[in-house]
This record gives sequence, C-alpha cells and structure tokens, in this order.
Amino acid sequence: MSKHGASKNGAHKSGPHKHGEGRHRAGGTPPGAGGAAGAGGAARAGRVPGAGRESVRLVVQTLLSRPRLLLRIAAWSAVEAAPAFVIGLAVAHAIEDGFAAGALRTGLAWLALLAGAWLLAAVGARQVVLAVAAVVEPFRDHLLTRVVAGSVRRAAAEGRPPGTAAVARANLQVELARDALAAVVTVVRSFVFTLAGVVLGMLALAPQVLVLVLPPFLAGLVLFLFSLPALARRQRAFLLADEETAEATGALVGGLRDIAACGAEDRAAADAGRRIDAQAAAGRKLALVTAVRTVALSAGGWAPVVAVLAGLPWLAGQGVGPAVVIGTLTYLTQSLIPAFSGFVEGLGVSAVRLGVALNRALEAAGPEPSPDAVAGPVPALAPPATGGVEVRLSGVTAAYGPHAAPVIDDLDLTVRPGDHLAVVGPSGIGKSTLAALIAGMLTPRAGTVLVGGVPAADVAPAARVLIPQEAYVFRGTVLENLCYLADAPEPVIAEAMAAVGTADLVRRLGGLRAELDPAALSAGERQLVALTRAYLAPAGLTVLDEATCHLDPAAEARAEEAFARRGGTLIVIAHRVSSAVRARRVLLMDGTRVRLGTHEELARTAPLYADLVGRWKPPGRDPEREFVP
Amino acid sequence: MRAADRLAARTVRHAGPWPAVLVVGVVGGAVLQLILPYALGKAIETLAAGGAAAASTGGAAAAGDRWLPICGLLVAGVVACEALGVWASGVTGAQASARLRRTVVAQVLGVGPAMTRHHTEGDLITRAGLNAEEVGRAPAAAVTAAGLLVPTVGGLIALALIDPWLPCALAAGLVLITWVLRTFLRDTTEVVGDYQRAQGDIAARLTDTLAGARTIAAAGTADRETGRVLAPLPRLRRHGMRLWRANARAGVRAGLVVPLLEVVVLGVGGWRLSQGDMTIGELYAAARYVVLGAGLSGALGQVGQLGRARAAADRLAGLLSEHPVGHGDRALPTGPGALEFRGVGVDLADRTGLNDISVTIPGGSATAVVGRSGTGKSLLAALAGRLLDPERGTILLDGVPLRELSRAELRRAVGYAFERPVLYSGADGTLADTISLGRPDDPGLDAVRAAARAACADDFVRRLPDGYDTPPANAPMSGGERQRLGLARAILQGERLLILDDATSSLDTVTEQQVSAALTGELGGRTRIIVAHRVTTALRADQVLWIDDGRIRACGRHDELWRDPEYRAVFQTASVPAAGQPAGSFPGQEAV
Repeated sequence: MSKHGASKNGAHKSGPHKHGEGRHRAGGTPPGAGGAAGAGGAARAGRVPGAGRESVRLVVQTLLSRPRLLLRIAAWSAVEAAPAFVIGLAVAHAIEDGFAAGALRTGLAWLALLAGAWLLAAVGARQVVLAVAAVVEPFRDHLLTRVVAGSVRRAAAEGRPPGTAAVARANLQVELARDALAAVVTVVRSFVFTLAGVVLGMLALAPQVLVLVLPPFLAGLVLFLFSLPALARRQRAFLLADEETAEATGALVGGLRDIAACGAEDRAAADAGRRIDAQAAAGRKLALVTAVRTVALSAGGWAPVVAVLAGLPWLAGQGVGPAVVIGTLTYLTQSLIPAFSGFVEGLGVSAVRLGVALNRALEAAGPEPSPDAVAGPVPALAPPATGGVEVRLSGVTAAYGPHAAPVIDDLDLTVRPGDHLAVVGPSGIGKSTLAALIAGMLTPRAGTVLVGGVPAADVAPAARVLIPQEAYVFRGTVLENLCYLADAPEPVIAEAMAAVGTADLVRRLGGLRAELDPAALSAGERQLVALTRAYLAPAGLTVLDEATCHLDPAAEARAEEAFARRGGTLIVIAHRVSSAVRARRVLLMDGTRVRLGTHEELARTAPLYADLVGRWKPPGRDPEREFVP
Repeated sequence: MRAADRLAARTVRHAGPWPAVLVVGVVGGAVLQLILPYALGKAIETLAAGGAAAASTGGAAAAGDRWLPICGLLVAGVVACEALGVWASGVTGAQASARLRRTVVAQVLGVGPAMTRHHTEGDLITRAGLNAEEVGRAPAAAVTAAGLLVPTVGGLIALALIDPWLPCALAAGLVLITWVLRTFLRDTTEVVGDYQRAQGDIAARLTDTLAGARTIAAAGTADRETGRVLAPLPRLRRHGMRLWRANARAGVRAGLVVPLLEVVVLGVGGWRLSQGDMTIGELYAAARYVVLGAGLSGALGQVGQLGRARAAADRLAGLLSEHPVGHGDRALPTGPGALEFRGVGVDLADRTGLNDISVTIPGGSATAVVGRSGTGKSLLAALAGRLLDPERGTILLDGVPLRELSRAELRRAVGYAFERPVLYSGADGTLADTISLGRPDDPGLDAVRAAARAACADDFVRRLPDGYDTPPANAPMSGGERQRLGLARAILQGERLLILDDATSSLDTVTEQQVSAALTGELGGRTRIIVAHRVTTALRADQVLWIDDGRIRACGRHDELWRDPEYRAVFQTASVPAAGQPAGSFPGQEAV
C-alpha cells in the first residue's frame, strides 16, 4: 500500500488534477463544489485488494449509522412522490368527471389537487436534498479525516512527504465520492418511491392496467440489472483509461526538455499514443454498452405504453374509459419513465464513479489503524535528560526493501552518555539511515538499537529529538513553532534564542507573538527555528541530521557549540567537515566499513578522512591560496 | 476563429460514417418523438369511439387497429434511434478526441521545450486533455443541439395547431425557467468560492505538514498534526451545507416550472374540451407537447456546449500554429566533438538573452561556464546541444551546423544532464529505462550499469527495493540521487559532447569529484561543457567561459581569471545566503 500511495511524487510536477478545472457537470446533479470530475487518481484502482470491499462497507456503514436520518429521507421522499401517486388519478378524473362531462369546476378542482401535490412535492424535494446533505457531509468529513490522518501518518512512518500532486488528487477524489454518493442516494430513493406511488395510483385508478404495465416494466428493469455489471465494468475502465491518459500526457509535458535532449520524441509519442488509443477503445466500448442500456431503459419505459395501447380493446371490455387510459399513460410518461431513466443513469454512472473515487481516496488514506496501533507501543520510561543517555547499536543491518542491498551492514557502535559524535561520509552512504535508526523511526533488518537501554522504537518521543535537514515550520505564531516539542517560559526561550543565534531573526519577524509564514522564510531561517525548538526540548539525546546545512559556517558553529554546551548526548550528521572538527569523536562511513575515532586519529589513519580534511580549510583564509594548486 | 472552425470541421470529416449515423439517430428520433403524442391521442380517441360503438355495433375497432401498430412502430423507432444516437455519439466523441490528442501530443513533441516558453505545463495538459475532448464532442453536440430543436420547435407548433392559447401559456413559462436558472448561477458561484477556499486551506495545511514528515515522525506528533490540518473542517461543512441549501432552493424552483406549466395547459385545454373545441386525444397530446416544448432549456445547454467546443478548438488551433523544430539529414564526420559558436545571439522577452557569442570549444576538452545567476549560462547550454535555436549566428559540431544534422545523429552525439532532471521513462518504465532514454537501441543492462557507476548512481540504485527494475515513481530520491541518474542518462547517450547544466549542484564534494574523475578518466575524450557555481569545477576545467549580462566576458584558465576581483565575486554571490549572516564569505567552504 504505502509504496503505491506515495509513489507519484515529483516525477511530473503538474498532475492531471490541474486540468479537471473545466469539467463541470451538467445541472441537476448535487452541487459539485469540486467542480471537477473524471481526471486524477494517483494509483490505479484494483492495486490494493480489499479497498473495494472496504468502500462498500464504508457506504453501508455511513447509511446505516444514522437510522433516524434515513427515516427522515424516507418520509420526505414519500411527500416528494405525491405527484407520482396523484398525477394519473387527477388527470383521469379531471377529464372523465370534469371536462368531458361538462363539469368545468370539477375538472379544475382535480387539476388544483395536482398542482397542490406538485407544491407539496417541492417542499419534500427540498427537505430530501437537505437530509441527503446531512448524510453525505459527515461522509465527506470522515473520508477527508481519514485521508489527512493516513497521509500524515504514512509520511511520518516513511519519513518523507508524498508528492503534493498525489495529495491534491486524493482531496479531489474525496469531493467526487461525496457528490457521487449524494447522486446515488438521490436517484435510487426517487425511483423506489416513484414506483411505489405509480403502482398505488394505478391500483386506485384501475387495477386492471397493472396487468398490462408491470410485466413489461419489470422485464426492462431485470434486463437493465443484468446489463449493470458489464456497464459498470466499462464505465470504470473508461474512467481509469482517462486518468492514465492524463497521467501520460502530464509526464510527457513535464519531461519535454528531457525528452528533447534524449531525442526520445518517438518513444514518448508511442507511449502516449498507446494510452490515447486505449482510452478511445474504452470510449467505444462504453458507447456500445450505453446504447444497450438505452434499449433496456426504453424497453422498460415504453413497452408498458405499447402494452396499454395493445390492451385497449380488452380494457374497454373491462369498462376502462379513455380518460383512465390517459391517466395511465400520464403515470408512465410523466412519472415512471423519468424516474427509471434517472435510476439507470444513477446506477450506471454515479455508482461506478463513487466506487472508483472511494477506492482512490481509501488507497490514499491507507488502512485504518487498529486500536492497538493508535495507542502506539507503550512508551518506556523516558531516559533521564541530565547528562544524556547511552546509544548502543549491535550488529545492525538496515535496507529499504527485501531485495535491496543493505545501506548499513552489521554496524556496532556505542555512544556514551553526554558524548558529542559527528558522522561524516559521502552522501547516500547511510548517514541519515543511521539517524533514523537511532531515533527509532526505522526498524533494523537485523541487530538491536538501544537508547538508554531501551529499544529505540519504544523510547518516548519526548526523550529524544531529531532535527532533519528539511526543517519543519508551520503557520502559527513564532512561539508555537518554538514550543512545538516542549513548553518553556519566555526567559528560557530568550536564553535559547541567544544561544542558538535566533534572536535577530525573531526580532525581524516581529517577536514571539508574530504570525509566521513558512513560505516567507529562507531555508536557513527555517533551520534556525527548528534548532531553537530542539534546544528547548528537555531530551537526553539530540540528533542533528544535516540540520545546519543551509546555515553559513559561522552560524553552524554557533548552533552546534550551543548544543554541545547544553549537555546531553549529541549526534551530528555532518554536512561539512568543520562539524567533525568540533566533535569529541567522529564516525567515518565510507560504504564498505566504518571507522570511529577522534578527528586527529582519523586524519592520521583514514585516507578518505584525510582526503576530506585536506580539501577543507579553516574559514577566513584567502580563497585564492586555498584553491590554486 | 476560422482556424478553429476548420479544425472542428476536419474532426467531423475524419470521423467516418459515424456522424451520419448520429444525424439519423438524433433527428430521426426527434421526429418520431414529435409524431408519437399525436398518434397516441388518435389511438385513445379511437378507443373512445370504439367503446361507444362497442355498445351498438362493435365495428369501429377496425379504425383503432390502424393506429395501434403505428404507435408500436413509432415507439420501436424512438427506442432504436435513441440507442443508435447514443452509440454514435459516444464513438464519434471517442475517436475524434483520440485523433486530436495524438495531433496535440505530436505537435508538443515536435515544437519541443520551446513550447513551454509560451504555455505553462498545466495549460498544455488541459489542451491535450480537456480541450481535445470538448472539440471531439463538438460533432455530437452540434447534431444533438439541432436534434433537440425538432421536438422543441415542433412541440410549440403542434400546440399552436391544437389551440392558439396553449403556446402563449408555454412561452410565459419558458421565460420563467431561464430566469430561475440565471438566479441559480448567481446564487451558487459565491458559495462555491467560499467552499473552495476552505478546501484550499486544508490542502495548504496538509502540504505544509507533510513537508515536515521526518520532524513529525521523530516527535511522534502525527495525531496533533492531523488535528491542525483539519481545523478548517467545520468551516468547510458550514459552506458545504450552504451550498446544498442553495441547490435545494434552485432545484425546487426549477422542478416546479414544468409541472405547473403542464397543469396550466391541462386547465386551458380542459376548458376548450368542455367547450367542445378540442378532443380528448388532443388534450393528451397537448400535455405531452408542453413537456417536449419545455425541453428548450436543454437545447440551450447544448448550444452552450457548442460555444465551449468552439473556444476549445480555438485553443487547440493556437497550439497547432506553433512551428515544429526541423532537422536536417546530414551525418557527422569523424571528429573529436569540437563545438563552435559563430556570432550567436538569442533575444528573450522577459530576461537577458545572449549576444555575439563566438567561441570555439576544442574537442575532448572540459569547459566550465560561469557567471552570476540569470546571465545566460543555461541559455548557452541549451543552444550548445540544440534544445533551442539561436536567432542569429550558427553553432557547429565538428564543422557541421547543428540545424543540418538529423535528429538521430544530433542526439546520439550530444548528452544533456540538468540540475533538476525529469526522469521520464514512459509507461511502466523502470530506472533502467530512465537511464537508457537517450538510446533508441537497447544498450543492455551492462552498459546501463556502467553509466550508472560512472555517475556514482549504481550503489543507491541497487539499494532500492527492485534495483534497476524499480519504477522511478516508486523510488523516492533526493535531489542528488536524481542528478546522478540524469548524469548516467547523459553519459550513456552523448558520444561526443556532454552538456552538464549545473548537473552536480546537489552532490557532495566527494561524489562530485568521483563523477568528474570518471568524466575525465574512463569517459575521457568527450567534450564537456559544464555550467557550475563551484570554484572547484572552474579550477579543474581546461578553460573557463565567463558569461556576464548575455555576453562572453572572458575566456581562459581559472587561475588567470582569478586575479580579477569581479571574477572572484561571481563565486561569492553564487552561494545561498543564510539568515542574519553575511552571505558567501567563505566561497571555498564545501559540503562533505
């Protein structure tokens, strides 16, 4: 699940959701605030087994969880179906007892009754819309909450954000699911109540006509229900093909420069062409089943009309007059056929759309956490903050997949309480993986990671701090951002800002109470905020994972020295060699093995380290002499 | 607009027999629908007459027999025509859209990166997707709109023929319908805006939060963050309910008009019936014609769709009017990969272009292109491998102007690596496909791995879940890792010339040095043009091309140029300024 859900990051910056903007649906359907349909979707449906069953379960649960609302919908639906019951009776009696009999008032009275039924139905229709809204709005909230919680939880579990395009698509799917659920509930209930109204009306008018009307109508209904699975399959295939084409076009447009540079135009055209052809084929197949659906619809709707006409002599023999026949035809053409047509459309299109959108949204949300998982592992006692805690890795191997080569292989490492360790090595060598292991965010394939004698994964989050390279700053006050990990009185905050070097920045931002706009801060400024936050946290272990890389060397030195003075165990994943010079001990990672020692020891004995240091010079010297051989 | 109409017309012409089938289905169905109420009315009247006659002779049933089969045939005809129309409309739309999409894709690829200078990515995707579909649906929309006019106009005429009072009542009602629809539109747009703002707020908060994934994971604050993101949810719900209420209001109004019209017409008709001016069958037909006539609003909607299709065709025509890049058919002579700029210049609308660029880059040499941001370095890189054509001057590779080379020859000779490579791999492609994108022939996994090794990408690719078979979308990569894959792709492709446009900026010093060692060592012999900000790159290059304000400021060795304080200043301003500290004081300070 996780892999697919978070998969479409970055590869194409502008996802297909962008072009959904103009695809407004026709009037009559529920309000589409999303205003878009058809495009989008990160993962293809069907990749996750169980998502379909989960969708059905969720819809059923949504409907059944509020029985009083369902009753309300049913009651107002009955009111809305009043004309379906009255219309034929009113027309037949208006003609038979009124206009044809020369009694104009009687006729008009019946028509007034019909008009009254319509007005009543309008009130009912309004209440039905509101009741349906009361069902689907909580449904949307629930779904959105799951998507947000799932995305945040998974991003935290994987330690990296999914692409923004994937997030936007998941949000769009939530809106589509809401609109589709409203459409399905509306048409299905409208059909059921209209059918009931029409049958009751005919019973009241002339029960004989039911013999002529019901069999062909039911035949048409059964025909439609039989064609429904095929129709749903085609509709779904078309939606998916549409999404895939949009994705392929997005990838092509996003990679235009690279495709041209690689001379891969033909390959790209062939790729996109395959998707386009597949979509056209899906469109043609859908058109065919839609035509079949139209036949079923027409058969169910119009065959009763023909049956009534063919039965005219028999009806006449039963004493059924022409006005009653007109009433019957009015029932069919004004009530039953429109409701049946809406039903066919609703099940054939909206229900399929609901299924696809819901699958997508649930895929993006991931599985709902079990109650145990919500509670999390019982946090072990927080190791004491004073003096720091010991970190001990024994025989640790870590990899990013069962078939992947290990990033860290059989690593033994002990960091004494209060030690200051710098980790150096080329990028991609596994330094961040080591940080994640120590912070308990990654479970090793083999070996153990103990922090203060407790397995790293069980350590209370408050007992250790990891500040990653990409500093997290959110909309809120400066104070909220600084006290994200632990509350602190203002003098302590001022002290921390002075120590880390954030005081100037906070003054410029307008003080602790000022609102902070993450986008307005430079990468270095964000890191300063995150560092001050970590400094304020009373944790016995601090891991800085290239947390100072956007600072200039002087600012970096000031921040690191502040942490070193503060006490506690400090592990610095170094971005520059200067971090290693400041550390008490240095861990050198070079892929095949690791070396541990002081700066001087490693500079003497490890060629790679000597090479790194050789190219590094203390700041402040003339760059010319530094670089000219 | 003429070009757009031509495009729409061409779409219809290429659709084969389907538009004709569509016309038969839609217009035929409409005509039959128009006749049906009249026939039904007649059949009922015969019943009335027959019922009366049955009491006396029973002989009038013969007349009713005539209308019954007619009604049956009409119904069958309506059903068949509707099904045919739906089928033809679907197929026409699918085929026409596919045709247009292929044309747009071919055009976008033909014009190449220049396309993105006039159109944003989102815009191009919209044109290839939504707009192509709208134009593709144009034939069906046109026919359907025309087809809808038949029952609408016919219904009105039929009403007038039955009784002149009836269409008057109907016309008054239609005015009401349009008024209601207009009110509805005014009502909702504002509410929709509020709703979308609340949605946008949640999305923005979520994006912020997800960017802090590692911090949140380490601090164990996922639940708190979820709460923060969802804070605007009550507002969303409130606006959502407002939207539903507006919709319910409008639905009530719109849903009442047609039934009430029908009641009015029935009343007027009933009065005429009781006067003996109308038959019972005519009354039935009139009630049906009201419903058919009220379909005018639907027809107006179709006309609106046609308007959109025309606007969409306009957008497609605009796209198709751009000139695709042409290629010659010459091949390269054997040569070292020497590149020559002769009086090259480009003008840009929004920033500085390039002027009077004349320089020769010897085959097999490494040339660093340096200069402050925005002075034209990347532009020069784009020209060097013909990602862009100059407006003035010529660029020659081993003596052959780039324009005269065939596309295959040009791309085989030149490999590009970018600062932010887009790892296109086509449908269902793998990382191996990504690396070999520049090779129309399949170079084989060994060659792919060799290129990856040279770019220091082999190690991390092998650590991915499926190694080289991992789809790029499933491989979360840092900027440096993407750059290394982009480098591997260029190394595998460019036989004579490699153009590295800031392509190692995210690599640490050690890796960068390994890559450049590979470029000079085992891959040596290829000409390299390296746009870079780092002093070390300039230091290692055979020559430095210093670009300033769109012109060549100087060309020479780094140690010669270094004496110029302005040259040194180039490297100082290139580094990222940090908060509250003087920026770039230590140009030599490099990443580990």
